[in-house]
Parts: sequence; C-alpha cells; structure tokens
Amino acid sequence: MPVQAQQGIASPRTSAGLGGLAPALILIGLFFVVPVLALLLRSVTDPVAGLQNYAALLGDGTYARVFFNTFLVAFVVTIVTVLVAFPVAWMLAIMPPALASLLFSIIILSMWTNLLTRTYAWMVLLQRTGVINRALMSVGIIDQPLPLINNLTGVTIGMVYIMLPFMILPLVGTLRAIDPMTLRAAALCGASPFAAFLRILLPLSLPGIAAGGLMVFVMSLGYFVTPALLGGTSNMMLAEMIAQMIQSLLNWGLGSAAAFILLVVTMALYALQLRLVGNSRATGAA
Amino acid sequence: MTEPFLSIRKLRKAFGAFTAVRDVTLDIPKGEFLTFLGPSGSGKSTTLYAIAGFQDPTSGDVLLEGKSLLSVPSHKRNIGMVFQRYTLFPHLTVAENTAFPLRVRGRPEAEIKRKVADMLSLVRLESFAQRLPAALSGGQQQRVALARALAYDPPILLMDEPLSALDKKLREEIQAEIRRIHRETGVTILYVTHDQEEALHLSDRIALFHNGRIEQIGTGEDLYLRPATDFVAGFIGNSNFLAAEHLETAAGASTIRLADGSLISGIRANGSFQHGQKTRLMIRPEAFGLERKPKHAELSVDIVDVAFYGERRRIVARTRAGQEIDIRPTSSAVAASDASPGKRQVFFDPATAFLFPA
Repeated sequence: MPVQAQQGIASPRTSAGLGGLAPALILIGLFFVVPVLALLLRSVTDPVAGLQNYAALLGDGTYARVFFNTFLVAFVVTIVTVLVAFPVAWMLAIMPPALASLLFSIIILSMWTNLLTRTYAWMVLLQRTGVINRALMSVGIIDQPLPLINNLTGVTIGMVYIMLPFMILPLVGTLRAIDPMTLRAAALCGASPFAAFLRILLPLSLPGIAAGGLMVFVMSLGYFVTPALLGGTSNMMLAEMIAQMIQSLLNWGLGSAAAFILLVVTMALYALQLRLVGNSRATGAA
Repeated sequence: MTEPFLSIRKLRKAFGAFTAVRDVTLDIPKGEFLTFLGPSGSGKSTTLYAIAGFQDPTSGDVLLEGKSLLSVPSHKRNIGMVFQRYTLFPHLTVAENTAFPLRVRGRPEAEIKRKVADMLSLVRLESFAQRLPAALSGGQQQRVALARALAYDPPILLMDEPLSALDKKLREEIQAEIRRIHRETGVTILYVTHDQEEALHLSDRIALFHNGRIEQIGTGEDLYLRPATDFVAGFIGNSNFLAAEHLETAAGASTIRLADGSLISGIRANGSFQHGQKTRLMIRPEAFGLERKPKHAELSVDIVDVAFYGERRRIVARTRAGQEIDIRPTSSAVAASDASPGKRQVFFDPATAFLFPA
C-alpha cells in the first residue's frame, strides 16, 4: 500500500519539469546508479571480459548450495517473523494508545541497540552451555543440550529477533486501519473467532504482511553479521561468501557477480510483490 | 401466560463507578419494531450491545424464547446487526459480503446463491453484486449491510444508529426501505437512535431512555400526547415549560398559579401534588391559539418575533413573568396581521397541558 501511494504522488510531479530535480538526480546518479553499474562492469570484466564469473557461480554446486541456503534462511526467517510479529502487532493496534506507544518505544529501542551486542547476547543464550540449555536441563525437560547455535536454528532465532521491528511497524499501520467493528460484525454474522481471523482479518492485513515480509526477506538475503556469528560453516549465506571472495580470495569479479545476482533476485521479488498485492486489492479476490 | 419472544430482565451495566444501564426490564413480542430512543449516554446502545453479546451485563438477563442468551457467544446468537458505520468487509464484493454469514455457516453453494439473489433484490441492489463496498455510496453500503444482516433469516435484527452517517435525503429514503423490509420479512427489529423523528416514523413502540433507565415505553402517540415525565415531554416534540405553583386538584383537574399571578384551572393532573408545590406546566407550541375559545385558558404575552415556516408560523413571545415561549399555530388559522409584535392574549386548552414536578 505505501508503495502504491508513492507512485500515485510521483506521477503528476514528473510533468512539472525536470530542472528543479537536478540536484536530486545528480545525487542518485552519483551515489546509487554509478556504483551499481561499476559493480556490473566489474563482474563481467574481472579478471577478463566475459560471463565466466556468472557461469562459475551458477554452474558450481558449492555456490548453488550457498544460494539455496541464503534463500532458505531468508524464507524461514520471514515466515517465523510474520508468525511472531502478527500477534504483537495486533495487540499494539488494539491496546490503549498510551500503552501502545510505550511498547513501541521499547521495540524501537531494541532497534537502536548495537547489532553486534544483540547477536553476541544470543550467542551467550544459545550455546551448548548457555542459559537456555542449562535452564531446560535443570528443570529436566531435556538430558542433552539442544543444538541451538552454529546451525539454521541459531541463525533463525537471531535474525527473527533483529527483523521483528521491520515487520511489526508496517503491520501495526495496516491493522490500525481496520475498523474493529468489522470484526464484531463478522462475529454477529456467525463467524467464530478463527473464521473471522481467516476470512476477514488476515486478508485485510495482507498489504502490511506483504510490505513487512518483503522488507524482512530482502534484508535477510544480504545479512552478514548474524549468520556469520550464529550460523555454522555448512549453512553459509551469500553475504558471507561475498566477504570471503573479496577479503580472503581477492576475487573482485566473482564477488561482484554474486552481489549483482542478489540485486537482480531482490528486484524480481519486489516486482512480483507489486503484482500480487496490487492485483489482489484491485479485484478484491484476496 | 405465554412466553415473550425477547425479554430483558433487570439488565444492569456498570463501568467502574458509572452505571450506564440501571435495571432495564422489557418484553418484546415477535415481529415488533421497537426503538430505543434517548440522548447519547442514556444507556440505549449499551443495552443493545448486551443483546448482541459485545458487552457482558453486570447483572440481569436477556432471554430469547425463554432461554438466556448471556452464556452464548456473539457468533452463536443468530442475531443480525446493522451498525452506525457500515462495517462491510472492504475486500469482499457486495455479493460476497451478503454471502458471508451463509459461508461461515457452511451452507451449500446453491442455497447461498439463491439467498444472496433474494437479499440483493430485497434491498434493490441486484446490479451492484460484483462491486466492492468502496465503489458504493453510503446509502448503498448501508443497504448491503441490511442484506448481510438478514441473509440467514435471524429472528432479531439490531440496528445501531444506522442512518446517522447519512445525509437527510438518504436517511428518509432508507427509512422507507427499512419500513418496507420490516413489513415484508416480519423480522423483530430493535432500533437505536437519538433522532425522535426517525423513532416516531419507524417504530411500533418507542422505549425512551434517560440516565440508564427507560423513562417511558409506548407508541409514539403515547409518548407525545401522554408523556409520563417532563423529560419525555421535553424530548419528544417541542414543548414550553412554565413555572407554576400547584394549588389544588379535584376530580383529576388541577388548579395552578403561574409566575405572573394568573390562575389556570382544569389542568390534567399527572401525579399527585401538594398545595403550594412548585411545578412546571408543559404546553405544546401547537396547542396555543390566538382566538378565544370556550374552556380555553388565557395567557398574557408580548409577541417578540413572528416567522413563516410554510404550514406553520413560529411566534416567539414573552410571558409577563419574562419567560420566553414558542407558539406554532397553523398558518391558515392565524393571519400575519394578527400575530404582529406587541401585547396580546394567547389561548390554550388546559386539558392538553401537563403538570410535572419542578
């Protein structure tokens, strides 16, 4: 929805002439377009001109596994984030405004806390002899420490925690716009709470889920710190691989190509989301 | 004794120290159009919400055909409701909105199709079936809300100020529509409004709410011609209240002294009063005439202003005691020249006036 609104505003302004826009265009060109083009150029010229970097990335099983892993992690993180964020966002949307803004600031505060600090905190909590494993063992729920770190579980927990605010914020906006009386109406129409959720609340909150979900998914695709610290070597993600190619192997061409593939995939997903969400709203067939 | 269809028993609802509804008791026969009328905060909506199951009453009971509804959650009460804001499902078409109550009940597709067609023709929106609510006017949305509320043949239809968001012309149009639908379906309707004209126009009976209680319940005529309290008299229709001292009551007719010293006898007594008790005399503006008639009482006034309102004239006058009163004779009964500003006598039938405690 916010995306559509921006488009609606942008289109009439383009007719007003581009002269006044020059400073902004120069800025965008210099700092955003040129670097991406340089990246593209590097990926097809380094070390020699040609598509060998792309061929290597897409043809090699090891690289393919990293791509698969990256999408798997981003997908799982997005799903879990939606599942955790929805009840929180709903609660924030319906609670008294004073209390909601207090909880909001707590969520924002966590966003402002240093990323590394938060990730190291999760390491302390999740490791074999960490707080969570020891607590579970001392109350006798488990005998052996659970493998919570250096695997997909660890990455998912750490990243969901970091991504939550990015999902909650757009979702609260969407949920607040839903008239609570609509749900009362659904109840009187005979809808059980579950049916009302499935048939009314969920379809109406879809734009918020899509907006937040896309943001979380795209951010997760390129995430570096948390997967590097909480993930294992067997489930390396793309950002880690790019870092390795450039820092350790000094292979700028391959690194650029990997980064460019990520960019293209991201843009494709964005276009897909616009299509799906746009369509479902226009025809009401959500 | 036969069981009343819907019965509200000593219903009470308190929000902390504030009591919104105080011991409301009410029986509603099947097929009746009953309106809860009252100013905002009088408890009419709270009572309706207790029937809908949105609010648990503090005490009391709501019985439908003898069975308590209170332990039944909203979605199993089988009650239809139309809200102040339209509350249509914005992502569903008109047809799907109407079908919603049937879908969640798992009715077969053929029945849903037939019923939706019936309902849309009842509210005359057949050609709008595939539109989204956002593409409809307010009046059309409210008609879809009606279709949706009636789609599963609920025994009771609740309406919470359904016309307050519409402009005057649309309001009258939908009022006529609601009357027709009530006639055609025979559904029992509980209707909440603060608009007395709407209540008088639509209802079989009106329950007038005030401070969480039912002040009076009866037909519109009962409330207008035989108000039980000064609140009813003041709320329904226009009324003048004159300060008066009660002197005596004999054989149902009271004698009073107005603030300007004039004596009026033959007032219909509305309760029992002491000698010398301070009272208020209520006279409807249209009860005044400018011509002397037998048995009519007279009042000396100063006419301040006269305005022509089509079928009636509106005369603003001041009594000798300085109280302003409103007089509305029919235009044909009073020539413009008769009502020119200045001192004169006005007349009224004491039997149409009411005496209330001050």
